[in-house]
Amino acid sequence: MRRFSHEWFFLIPITVFLGLFVFYPLTRVVLRSFTDNFTGHCTVQNYLNAFTQARYLGSLKNTLWFAGACTLVGAVGGTFVGLLASRMSPKVRGVLLSFYSLPMTLSSLVVAFAFIVLLGRNGVFNIILSRYLGIPKFDLYSWHGLVVTYSFYNIPLMTLTMASVFLNLDRSLIEAARNLGAKAWQVWIYVIIPVLAPGFIAGISIVLAGMLAAFGTALALTGMAKSLLSLQIYSHASESNYNIPQASALAVVLIVIIVVSLLTLNWIERRLRPGGEGR
Amino acid sequence: MRKEVVVDLVQKVVLVFLILYIVLPLLVPLIFSFSTLWMDIVPEGFTVRWYLKIFHRHKYYQGLITSLLVAVSAVAIDVFICVPAAYAINRLRGRAGGLLRSAFKIFPLIFPPIVVGTGFVQAFNRPPLAWSGSLMLAVFAHATLGFPFMFRNVLAAFQTIDERTLSEAAASLGANLWQRFRYVLIPNVIPGILAGSLLVFAISMGEFEVTSMIAGFGWRTMPLLLYRSLIDDIRTASAISGILVATSILAFLGMTLISTRVGAGKLRTKGARE
Repeated sequence: MRRFSHEWFFLIPITVFLGLFVFYPLTRVVLRSFTDNFTGHCTVQNYLNAFTQARYLGSLKNTLWFAGACTLVGAVGGTFVGLLASRMSPKVRGVLLSFYSLPMTLSSLVVAFAFIVLLGRNGVFNIILSRYLGIPKFDLYSWHGLVVTYSFYNIPLMTLTMASVFLNLDRSLIEAARNLGAKAWQVWIYVIIPVLAPGFIAGISIVLAGMLAAFGTALALTGMAKSLLSLQIYSHASESNYNIPQASALAVVLIVIIVVSLLTLNWIERRLRPGGEGR
Repeated sequence: MRKEVVVDLVQKVVLVFLILYIVLPLLVPLIFSFSTLWMDIVPEGFTVRWYLKIFHRHKYYQGLITSLLVAVSAVAIDVFICVPAAYAINRLRGRAGGLLRSAFKIFPLIFPPIVVGTGFVQAFNRPPLAWSGSLMLAVFAHATLGFPFMFRNVLAAFQTIDERTLSEAAASLGANLWQRFRYVLIPNVIPGILAGSLLVFAISMGEFEVTSMIAGFGWRTMPLLLYRSLIDDIRTASAISGILVATSILAFLGMTLISTRVGAGKLRTKGARE
């Protein structure tokens, strides 16, 4: 006997909410991206602009490089700290990981402020570096400055993922493989990497998607000086050079880039999974 | 023996460095905001002047109140939509449930703040949805950015309590749906709701990206004031940053407290059952 399940009734609030504040705005973005800013006529010019005009192409290239660099630094740093954390005693690990979950909720502007004081032109570290060590000052307002600043988000994010991944790595699995005569490289390729891969790829997916769209800290540090796709959208959607259709087209391009990156990472993950489609 | 001592020392040093990496950027705004001058390596003097300025100057005080109001409202909306949704999706077995669960996980990744902002600036500017520049729109935006975090926490709470068995037991004792929620389910998932609320609250208090895109002329939140003061008034900036850092840390301590309480509570019931 199966009556009408009341579960669907409980989904009404979130359905209304998502419809009104996610699907409706998203539909508007997609529709407006195909209109002309002045005449309102249907056009693909905004997309043509995105792939032909130097400023958008430049920002597209910058975004890919910047997000890639941030993800690389986050992945390496987070894997390293995560590995260290997994080797610590549970109590110490708990304290460390508690600290590493703090940046998640921190305002992008607070992070910008902290890094200006620490690494800005007259930042504490820069004074120490130049006065006592004679090393040239670190330029916070450059691309690598932005990567270092955003690492404050990315390394902790990756650390939290990788710590649990390393904790789940079953040592007896490695020993069993060694006992069965596997060489060190075989243990890595057939045992360790397939076990680590899903968590690692889930971690870098979150970091990469976040960095492709990031702009808050960058805006606070360098204004519009560093051309990122997200900053181009921001300037067209809310600043003086108001052009909503162009902002919308760039936003759609950004979404497509994020989706393609996530799908690619997902595909790689499936290939690495034991017994996956890869072998 | 010698080697162990060295290894131990290296481990401690590494640990200190790893913690400093997070703590230093958090401490900087706090130290800055309580010092009279910080031009060189070490800050000088102690003062609460910059905080007093926030409480005395109408613009900043108003900003603080606005931020709190927006954050509390966004939390309320997220509780209202996520608790029923998490209950339902936890119950849905098979494809639909799994699909919805992973959809909510991927959602914030493909719908980042810049896209939410671009959508919000153009979707709500004509009747019947003429909310441009209103504070209400900021509340809705923050609720939109926050709901995945609320949902994740509440769903996790539902998944740990074996909701079906509890509900069936309560139903067999004659409790209707409302009573089951009021007396059985909500008390059991309240840690998840509280943790989600603290997370959404902290995110909302610090949210700058979308807020700055949809900001009206009539109101300013703390991060919007911080953005202005980063350029021309670094002292006020430090005090606002201090408040935001404190908010994050307090929210976080609250979440830790909740999770340890829940852990302890679970151990007790386990012991009682045995």
